[in-house]
Amino acid sequence: MSGPFERVGVRPLPPAPPQPRQRRGWPVCSAVILAAVVLVCLGSGLLPGGDPAYMDLQNCGVPPSARFWFGTDAMGRDVFAMIWAGGRVSLFIGAASAAASTAIGVAVGAAAGWAPGWVDGLLMRLTEILLSVPSLLLVVLLQAALGRPGPLSLALALGAVGWTGIAKVVRTEVRQMRRCGYIQAAKSMGGGFFYLLRRHMAPNFFPSILFMIVMNVRNAIAAEATLSFMGLGLPPETVTWGAMLSLAEKAALGGAWWAVLAPGIFLAAVLLSMTSLGERLRGRAGQGEGNL
Amino acid sequence: MAGEVLLDAQGLAHAFPLTRTMSVKALDGLSFQIRRGEVYGLVGESGCGKSTAARCVMNLLRPQAGRVLYRGIDTCDPKAFRANRRMLQRNRQLIFQDSAASLDPRMRVGDIIAEPLRLQRVTPPRGTCRDEAAFQMKYVGLDPGYLDKYPGELSGGQRQRVAIARALAMEPELLVADEPIASLDVSIQAQIVNLFKHLQAEHGFSFLFIAHDLAMVEFLCSRVGVMYRGRLVEEAPARELFARPLHPYTRALVSAIPIPDPRRERARKPVEFRGGELPPGGLWTEASPGHFVLEERGDAP
Amino acid sequence: MKLGSWAVRTGKKLLALLFSLLALATAVFYISRLAPGDPLVAYYGQRAERLTPDQRAQAEERLGLNDPIWVQYARWWENALQGDFGISYKYKMDAAEVIASRAGNTLVLGGAGFALIFVLAPLLGALCAWREGGPLDRVLCRLGAAVSCIPEFWLSLVAILVFSAALGWLPSSGAYSVGGGGLGDRIAHLILPLGVVVAGHLWYYAYMVRSRVLEEARADYVLLAKAKGLGRGRVLLRHCLRCALPSYLSLMAVSVPHILGGTYVVEMVFSYPGLGTLAYESARYQDYNLLMLLCILSGGVVMCSGMAAQWISGRLDPRVRARDGEGAEP
Repeated sequence: MSGPFERVGVRPLPPAPPQPRQRRGWPVCSAVILAAVVLVCLGSGLLPGGDPAYMDLQNCGVPPSARFWFGTDAMGRDVFAMIWAGGRVSLFIGAASAAASTAIGVAVGAAAGWAPGWVDGLLMRLTEILLSVPSLLLVVLLQAALGRPGPLSLALALGAVGWTGIAKVVRTEVRQMRRCGYIQAAKSMGGGFFYLLRRHMAPNFFPSILFMIVMNVRNAIAAEATLSFMGLGLPPETVTWGAMLSLAEKAALGGAWWAVLAPGIFLAAVLLSMTSLGERLRGRAGQGEGNL
Repeated sequence: MAGEVLLDAQGLAHAFPLTRTMSVKALDGLSFQIRRGEVYGLVGESGCGKSTAARCVMNLLRPQAGRVLYRGIDTCDPKAFRANRRMLQRNRQLIFQDSAASLDPRMRVGDIIAEPLRLQRVTPPRGTCRDEAAFQMKYVGLDPGYLDKYPGELSGGQRQRVAIARALAMEPELLVADEPIASLDVSIQAQIVNLFKHLQAEHGFSFLFIAHDLAMVEFLCSRVGVMYRGRLVEEAPARELFARPLHPYTRALVSAIPIPDPRRERARKPVEFRGGELPPGGLWTEASPGHFVLEERGDAP
Repeated sequence: MKLGSWAVRTGKKLLALLFSLLALATAVFYISRLAPGDPLVAYYGQRAERLTPDQRAQAEERLGLNDPIWVQYARWWENALQGDFGISYKYKMDAAEVIASRAGNTLVLGGAGFALIFVLAPLLGALCAWREGGPLDRVLCRLGAAVSCIPEFWLSLVAILVFSAALGWLPSSGAYSVGGGGLGDRIAHLILPLGVVVAGHLWYYAYMVRSRVLEEARADYVLLAKAKGLGRGRVLLRHCLRCALPSYLSLMAVSVPHILGGTYVVEMVFSYPGLGTLAYESARYQDYNLLMLLCILSGGVVMCSGMAAQWISGRLDPRVRARDGEGAEP
């Protein structure tokens, strides 16, 4: 009945429209910049060039030159060397505070998601209270209460203020997972809460919070810079990018632009690369063809 | 065959709150018994409380009333449960309806199957956990090459086999399966049900098989209980129930089972059931040996 | 009895609000007392270090700093409930007065910033969504991300460098020129700080709107609208933007304190006499009364705007209402 089809002619198809360039690869540029800055900061002790604390009083306020690549600040310190030394402190604070906030956030979030309703309500109320005070203010208060100002205490204070986002995400995920088959199966097989958290829930909610962890590092660095700038952070002799900028504030009106631009550009570059890395980690949300 | 009573559910009752004022009664005085080596089928329409019953039996949910006795131990009593925790957690295993959700998407198949062994700290009879997992996989008909795959890479039927392998790894006395085939293709359903029959014959475990597909239940089970709105309305050996259904609801269900012959099927008319709430009270009478019906007051069988 | 249950629920929320404020006040009180540092420095300035022990004891007695903390706390509440929030050590005036005198400036800056952002963000976001993937969208996204990453204080510094020091167009500090000034002078002083505040926050909200609109655009009903023949712009405006609006409104409601608080840093750099500078001075120099009042005020603002946001999103999206009030999980 139906034999092979007869060819009656050939009509060429119009060429396919060009595929939109895939923009969802890794932000290579950011990764490279970030890696470079981190590496040089970590190895800054081995760099040639000046000691960041050495004040060459004959060369105060010198614009960038062959000898001082980024110039010197108002007290004669080599800006180039200070950038890397300051970067080390800033990066340490970022990492330490992110670790602290992740630990607290996961603990609180998991407890709120798993425990009976009233514990959840209480913890959420606590988070609300914490969020209602301007965070910088709270950090200042906490750091003062922790005693000796230093990078570690500042990092802990920042961590104690920044855990709320992670806690919320973990709480939602744990709530959802509570009902999931594999959690109930593991529970009926004899798994206790910590086993479930470690073995089943953490690997599953980790990608969601990875983005927030990176953002926390970034926010901690920005917060530390802001606080140092206002003189509320670390002791004045510690070199960080924020402290450099606070000294540069006065120099700015006198026209010493290099002292303002150098730490600022590095700060902005680090923050920007962390943000784009974080965005990439947030995943492929919003993929698919828009219908517009 | 009168064997020892393994599982005895007595008067289970549980209600879920919907809003502040309304709640839905999932279980309303459910009682049944499962003997050693018996395959007990629990059927009913969606929402009649079968899954809730499974969860109560496995102690994942604490019923608001009633108790569940396993080998004579009251598992709803926290003290007794804690004292016998090991035994209870090893000898009773659960298989879920949604195979994708019941397997941790971030664990490999081999680890999933061996997890109960690790949790209960049992030395695997086949040497290492990995060997044990491979053995169990072969046993349920999966290629051991899948040991290192993730559940997302398997098909629905394969995932369900993994869930079965995980349940069998502990060599349980009681296997509870909550609608294990509902989400599978029909041809795969047949395969899994055959697998169940085969495994049960070999191992001899007791099996609580919850489903709403009566044809499968008729094939697999030795004893069947029919649930409606949280209560058992009829309970009998499988052959007896399908040959002579007594309760109006059971009659409606049985008459709705499609016959594969289109001519006969078209000639039939399914029996209608009036639906709605069952009148409270009612007598649980034995119409014939082993065949129980819920009789409403004033009804005659 | 719908009215009754609504009243009960609102009553409960108010109680929760009060309780939270109480907890906040207690926490701030205790923490600020625990911090090392000398409140007398705020009062007497540098002379505090040269006080003899007797004079110091007298001063502490006068300021009531000798009593145990809970006594001081109780005394504070006693006075507060009568409207007396104590004296700011530094300014030697009523704390409430100090705040009132400065609050206006901050409100102007924060309020104008909020209004600008509120209006510009949806426009920008919708624009980007409309041209999604095109060169404009890409450029704006990159630029926006870069600008929002830059810390505000650095933006302010650069703005001062460029617009004040180098170009001399705009004044760099204060709210008005010495000796008062007219409206034009005020506005001139406001431009740079306002610009920095808006630039710092705008992209965050514009991006939210953009993401939300794009999310809506992926829904099936948009495809249907296009199939019916509606033009792209109409679909965007009438459907996608409208659906994105509820979450945008509730986001803005919650962001009131964030934006108002975000002016603190800008105020400091521009020496703008507002609550921001006040807050940090009081934190730094242990000006307790001022600090307490500021914390309570800001806490109150946050909680109220949080409640407002919840109420708004409840009205706009019935699913949120069901989840919050009436539902319960089985």
